[in-house]
Amino acid sequence: MKLDINKVINDMLAGIKGTVADSWDEVKAATEQFMQRRKERLLLIAELRITGELTEEKFKSRLNDEKLLLEAELNALAVITKAIAQRAANTAIDILEQAVKTAISIG
Amino acid sequence: MKNLITKTRSSRQLLALLLVATLAMYGCRVTFVPEYDSALAADIEETARQVDRFYLMMLETTSAEDNGRAFEVFAPEYVDIEVMLNSLLNQNKIKPLNQNSTRIAEITLELWQKYKEEHRTDNTLSDGLIKLNRKTFSDLFYAMQVAEKGKELATNPPK
Repeated sequence: MKLDINKVINDMLAGIKGTVADSWDEVKAATEQFMQRRKERLLLIAELRITGELTEEKFKSRLNDEKLLLEAELNALAVITKAIAQRAANTAIDILEQAVKTAISIG
Repeated sequence: MKNLITKTRSSRQLLALLLVATLAMYGCRVTFVPEYDSALAADIEETARQVDRFYLMMLETTSAEDNGRAFEVFAPEYVDIEVMLNSLLNQNKIKPLNQNSTRIAEITLELWQKYKEEHRTDNTLSDGLIKLNRKTFSDLFYAMQVAEKGKELATNPPK
């Protein structure tokens, strides 16, 4: 049985790196959308305060709601990053498993 | 000596076999998020559409004058949509490893109930507040959809 552990580790790292790189655009796109949407909401909240449609009390209440919206957005990003981590971890496990199987068959 | 080499080789093979068997036994897989659920994604889309329609209809077909936006006019639709939001929350809650999506659904329901109570208390809603509420929920449903769609990344690389 011959198992080149350094090669296996390097292959596993390459697998993880490739998986994360492939999915990075998804995280970036979602983050940019969240930022843009936040900007539009804050602009509208400010406008409504200026025109008096939002009282001071409701203005503060809406700003507090923004914290909940941020929490929702962070939770959405957490799902994406967990999903990417899952695929990366499983890619690494597949590489290890395949290397061990190959070593057994050669041995 | 030959016997010793054979023995060592066999024990290594045995170790490797045990490693593979252990990996196989535990499914060789880690799971951090539940599987993407296309039925739930469709429900999110449908609820988002209903909420959008609710606020657009209010904005386009009613006016704050002459009590045209009194709470009771919209109470049945508030109930219908709250039922849909409760359903989304429950569908998320029952899935293991789904605390992030569950929290988004909780926040959406919490704000829906809050804005409903504001409407009930004020017994009217200005055009500006309708636009703000519509936008807020559109953004929350977007976060919900991002989370659900994001689960696909666990098994499928992005195209």
